[in-house]
Amino acid sequence: MKVLLVDDERKFAAMLAKRLVLRGIDIDYVYTGEEAIVKAGTQRYDVAILDVKMPGIGGIELERKLKELDPCLKTIFLTGHGSKTDFEAGSAEATCYLAKPIQIDELLTILREVAG
Amino acid sequence: MDSTIDFKNNDDLAFFGKVNASISHELKNILAIISEAAGLLQDLTAMAAKGQKIELEMLNTCSQDIVEEIQRGFTTIRQMNTFSHSVDAPLKSVNLIDVLDLMINLVGFLSFAGKVRFDPPPDEAAMILTCPFRLQNLVYHTFVFAFKSVGADGEIQVAVHREPNGSARIAFSGLGTKGGLPFPSQETKNIATSIGAEIRMADDSRTVEILVTQLGEDSDYTQRHN
Repeated sequence: MKVLLVDDERKFAAMLAKRLVLRGIDIDYVYTGEEAIVKAGTQRYDVAILDVKMPGIGGIELERKLKELDPCLKTIFLTGHGSKTDFEAGSAEATCYLAKPIQIDELLTILREVAG
Repeated sequence: MDSTIDFKNNDDLAFFGKVNASISHELKNILAIISEAAGLLQDLTAMAAKGQKIELEMLNTCSQDIVEEIQRGFTTIRQMNTFSHSVDAPLKSVNLIDVLDLMINLVGFLSFAGKVRFDPPPDEAAMILTCPFRLQNLVYHTFVFAFKSVGADGEIQVAVHREPNGSARIAFSGLGTKGGLPFPSQETKNIATSIGAEIRMADDSRTVEILVTQLGEDSDYTQRHN
């Protein structure tokens, strides 16, 4: 399973990626939607973990752009909000979302579920 | 006493809620980083317990990140506290530098916030008697519009000028054309009018000015709140 993590909170992205690597997940991480589109243009990913609120291209818009590149891509959204508000207003195709702070075991379980 | 509150059309309440929501989002981000750093320390401890080699530099980085994020959390809570207490007095002498600094920090929590160049005037040129909360509301809305007008990579300039009659002029310049909606809206103008201030867009649409009037004893606002 190849995973792409996109979050503008740099320390969060780096540490979460490191923890997933320690659990055997093959993961790349970037800090902006623009960087994610470049990455996804050169590398195929099974799952994208996207922060909803980011400067520039936000997570919901990014999902649409990434799916244009690869319709098979699965998505998990991360949000600092504790409600589903962002998702009711946005993507209907999102596989699921997790509220920050996240539980690593819960994320792992969801990753494996969505990747099949 | 009317037992219902018109939440939707209460600009003050809507502003208070909006700012508090953005602060809670910021605090969640901070806690998320601390949570990941603590989790990584646990992972490294478990690896060490199994006799696996761990990088000491990573331990140091995690600890340092926790310290920095706790400091960021304290700063955010201090800003939240200052903002919350701005409703305490309907009329108060405020330092415009403090008001602008606080609003720059609070609006900075929004995902579309860009950069601000603020050259503060001397302290004595920045004191004004006004309604702190409504002035913050005006400044915040102007920053939101200004950031949207230039995009996340843009930069706006803010300056405070003292007028000969004792009022102060806050100028937001370097605005772009991405904003969309006309500004200021009637609601924003109403907030300004309620505290005897004025908000206007310059003819070239690149600068918004807020003219903040000293609210003296005889002003309508002071009469209403005394």
